[in-house]
Amino acid sequence: MELLLQTLLNGLLMSGVYALVATGLALSLGVVGIVNFAHGEFLMMGAFLSYLFFALQGLDPLFSLGLAFLAAFLVGGLVYQGLIRPVLPAPELNQMLLTFGLSILLQNLALLLFGADTRVVAPSYQAATLTLGPFFLGAVPLGAFMLSLGLLFLLQVFLTRSRLGLAMRAVAQNRLAPGLLGIEADQVYLLAFGLAAALAGVAGVMLSVILYASPTVGFIFTLKSFAIVALAGLGNLKGVVPAALVLALAEALVSTYLPGGGGLVEAVFFLVLFLALVGRAWRSP
Amino acid sequence: MGKALEVIGLSKRFLGLQALKEVSLHLEEGEILAVIGPNGAGKSTLLNLLSGLIKPDQGRILLLGRDISHLPPETRTHLGLGRAFQIVQPFPELSVRENLLVGALFGKPGLKRKEAEAWVAEVLDLTGLAPRAEALAGELTLLEDKRLELARALATRPKVLLLDEVMAGLRPKEAEEAVALVRRIRDSGVSVLFIEHLMPVVRALADRVVVLDHGEVIAEGTYEKVAQEERVREAYLGRRA
Amino acid sequence: MRELSHLPFLSFFLLLFALLPFLPLGIWGAFLLDVGFFIQLFTAMALSWDLVARTGQLSLAHGAFFGLGAYGAGLLAPHVGTLPALVFGAFVAGAGALLLGSVTLRLHGLYFAIASLAFSEVLRTLALKLAFTGGPIGLPVPPPFGGVWPLAAYYLSFGVLLLATALSHWAEWSPFRLAQAATRQSEAVARVLGVRVVRVKLWSLLLGSLVAGLSGGVYGMKTLFLSPYDAFSLGRAVEALVIPIFGGLYSTLGPLVGGVVLVGLEQALRLWIKEGYLVVYGAILILVILFLPRGLVGLLGRRRG
Repeated sequence: MELLLQTLLNGLLMSGVYALVATGLALSLGVVGIVNFAHGEFLMMGAFLSYLFFALQGLDPLFSLGLAFLAAFLVGGLVYQGLIRPVLPAPELNQMLLTFGLSILLQNLALLLFGADTRVVAPSYQAATLTLGPFFLGAVPLGAFMLSLGLLFLLQVFLTRSRLGLAMRAVAQNRLAPGLLGIEADQVYLLAFGLAAALAGVAGVMLSVILYASPTVGFIFTLKSFAIVALAGLGNLKGVVPAALVLALAEALVSTYLPGGGGLVEAVFFLVLFLALVGRAWRSP
Repeated sequence: MGKALEVIGLSKRFLGLQALKEVSLHLEEGEILAVIGPNGAGKSTLLNLLSGLIKPDQGRILLLGRDISHLPPETRTHLGLGRAFQIVQPFPELSVRENLLVGALFGKPGLKRKEAEAWVAEVLDLTGLAPRAEALAGELTLLEDKRLELARALATRPKVLLLDEVMAGLRPKEAEEAVALVRRIRDSGVSVLFIEHLMPVVRALADRVVVLDHGEVIAEGTYEKVAQEERVREAYLGRRA
Repeated sequence: MRELSHLPFLSFFLLLFALLPFLPLGIWGAFLLDVGFFIQLFTAMALSWDLVARTGQLSLAHGAFFGLGAYGAGLLAPHVGTLPALVFGAFVAGAGALLLGSVTLRLHGLYFAIASLAFSEVLRTLALKLAFTGGPIGLPVPPPFGGVWPLAAYYLSFGVLLLATALSHWAEWSPFRLAQAATRQSEAVARVLGVRVVRVKLWSLLLGSLVAGLSGGVYGMKTLFLSPYDAFSLGRAVEALVIPIFGGLYSTLGPLVGGVVLVGLEQALRLWIKEGYLVVYGAILILVILFLPRGLVGLLGRRRG
């Protein structure tokens, strides 16, 4: 019983980061209308940024959080201006292949620069735990969970209270509406794409401590985010948090209870992704 | 004369909206039947059900006496049902001739390539598209697009042809030509069911008219007869005022 | 008469590959034969990807088909001999494709792509976890025909390329091309015109997967060792799709030209960099999409679906 609750607790803590990354993917899909295979690479960059600052400057990853947010926002904006915007009028195929190409390029660039090894950022508090009765809570996962929820809350406030946020939701629902608010669709796209990247960048810093930085860590999270977004309903922002929770819990249960579950964890996501897509297609008339 | 197409008690709901409610109608062999009605009356739903792109909740569809209600669209085409779409959807990366060849080759299984090519040449002549045969379909004008839509349906050698507002957007002179073309198609032995908004076209072309409103048949008969009926006038005029 | 204009090119390429072992290549001979082997195999993969893409199905599962073929052939080769094992591997890949294809019939474009990617990753995880595959340790594979003939692997890969080219050429110059093009451009309209869309999609996927499965089988017999990371790698699917996009989509000539250039380049690059050579593929993919959307062959003239 305690093992079960501890497992569920671990899953719950992980769901925050998942929701954060997947929300970014859902933003670019829902608002810009692009399936971004390179989404996780912003996360990978955030993770390496955190690692580099820590290894070279001894900078605490807490400081890297803000830096990664800004850096990823900037890179995301540049990617939008330079690569995404030119292919927006092009067929879906071209858009998909472009982001796929970007993902391959960045992953392998990282491989050339840093090698395939995983690198962990280990500040003094990395292994700190809180005890809660018979349960253990990792301080870092708990912090990451709270921070993720905080960021998602801020995003929600931004989307519902600010003019730009309203315009963004308007674009997500109807491609014509933003003009009415006197805001160019193009600016909304730029902002949404930048924000999506920034969320992934921050998540990357958290993961550099909880998990590791590696060239492929981003792509793994792209795929996990696809699974979450497909389960939530494509482009549906509200469904992302519950979907992330379901998947994170399922993942935790598999890794605890299935023999040799560690390697099967990823299969859970892919299976859910596959079934969610297929199920959705067969249900619609 | 037998019935080319018979629809019995056809119903369809979309997410709580009753698009069609127990619609029954028929098309005689060699007849030209118009289905008219205000926007949202269910005309396009009817055509999508007939060609099999969506499935009915209830009711049956008979093509030349055979129940096709549960057959997929391609099989309906093989059995002699042709359709031209309202929004023209040519295959833009294929030439006009190749667009027609798709219909000719696959519309009737077992046709030889030479026969299909000969038939396509005939249809190109009939529809006046012969000079543009080698152009890519993505490069056509609206008028040519409309002709291609009709020609491609014809290329499948239908016995029953469904036309979805193929005259929309044409100038009066062009519409007149199109009316003559549809007559010639009928005279070659094809029964025609068409949806149309332009009343002059309906008057000129239809042997009989069926009026749909809110998914139900509210009138049926000659153009002159249905134009007199109070319910039809209400359906068209009442709600606009 | 467009049909004749491509045949000399195709024949030239194929003849060159057939005769490569007999050309006076000097000290570079062994290296060039290796390069030729990989060009043939990955060009066949690219042709098989293109064959599937012509129906609008963007497969990211080609790595899985490759892996299924590689493991199917590799596991059976010690017991039944080279050719039956290769055929078996191809059938395993074909069965996987039919399974994938029949449940994803209603998925279009990128949703098919994502589903096929998920399918591929599930299979890779299984290959890592199941006992009979050797798991992460890997699977040794015997050389073809007991290793008595040094050129066996080369000519097996030539055979796969020949088959892929013949299939692709047939599909390009028969009515099947129109069925595929119609299916790709609008499934609903294609069906109303009488095209049996389901059959066209499944046959295309099946034929493509058979070629990919054969490629995988031959690959194992050349490398003599398989691991799930290598055989089921997403990188296989990446190569298989970048080559046609670079050379020119929906054609036989495009993937052939693209394959010779890109795989040749890749093999040369591998002399310099061990890992990360896919950087080049990523960069090429981006540049081609932005600046050369119709590929190398598109430079030559107007092409049709």
